[in-house]
Amino acid sequence: MNIKLGLLAAALLFSLPVSAANWGASIDDRADALSQKLHNSHDYHAYLAINLANKAAEEKDQHDTEVAKRFMQMAEQEAAKVGSAK
Amino acid sequence: MRAIRITPPFLAACAAALLSACVAAPLNTEISPLNDARTWIAKAKAAGAEQCAPALQAEAVGQLYAAAHEYAEGNVHPDEQTETAAAATTAAKKAYAKCTNHPQVMRLTGVYFDTNSAHLKSASEATLNHAIKVLKANKKSDVEIAAYTDSRGSSSYNLKLSKMRADAVRDYLRNHNIAANRLTAKGYGESHPIASNASAAGRSKNRRVELHLK
Repeated sequence: MNIKLGLLAAALLFSLPVSAANWGASIDDRADALSQKLHNSHDYHAYLAINLANKAAEEKDQHDTEVAKRFMQMAEQEAAKVGSAK
Repeated sequence: MRAIRITPPFLAACAAALLSACVAAPLNTEISPLNDARTWIAKAKAAGAEQCAPALQAEAVGQLYAAAHEYAEGNVHPDEQTETAAAATTAAKKAYAKCTNHPQVMRLTGVYFDTNSAHLKSASEATLNHAIKVLKANKKSDVEIAAYTDSRGSSSYNLKLSKMRADAVRDYLRNHNIAANRLTAKGYGESHPIASNASAAGRSKNRRVELHLK
């Protein structure tokens, strides 16, 4: 039984998207971290990531938390592509 | 109470359920009000905008997502729906223009002059005031004011008249706080017609003023 529970926990853990590593951090913290990391990059994906992170922060300020999370997730997915613009 | 059996399919279902909860559904940008924005973003991308105008292209795509979100909300913010969609299109056009060295052309439909004169009719104000808003929103763009005539009269007269009309529009913009060093006025006379000069409707189209944003 313990093995099965362990498997369940492992399956759930591995199913998490990369952005879930930021669970617990606020939208503002995540947006700030992303902006600081990318502010010197002139890559298309970096600009888009910062743009989406700013929109996430705006939505969060308007108390639309679900939308803010969605934009933040998109921002982090875009940030992961930095350097890959073709 | 029935015990739940933890089987591999059950584990897979749990993982899938959690994954779907963590990954938000993508915003739907494939809606008709965003056709123009999508088309220009694709054109800009094809022109290499991700390399030659990355900030503008990112702005366009970001605004496209923002517009998709506004439309997904229904009519909560109807003004923001059209504003964000227009902002996406404008940014993509600028990215395309930057990458192709083509100026962004804004035709000033609704600018009228007295016949054979460079005197602006008051009916032109709405169009010119809209142009001022656009220029204030695009502070980094230099602008050529290009005026054209139809083919009636001599070409030298038409060239002179078009230059005077371009000057009149430039003066109007300058008098409404658009920096003079951003503005150049050029008359093209009857060259570059966009319609046939054989009909009144065609000649009306050829008599025009455009802003070329660079």
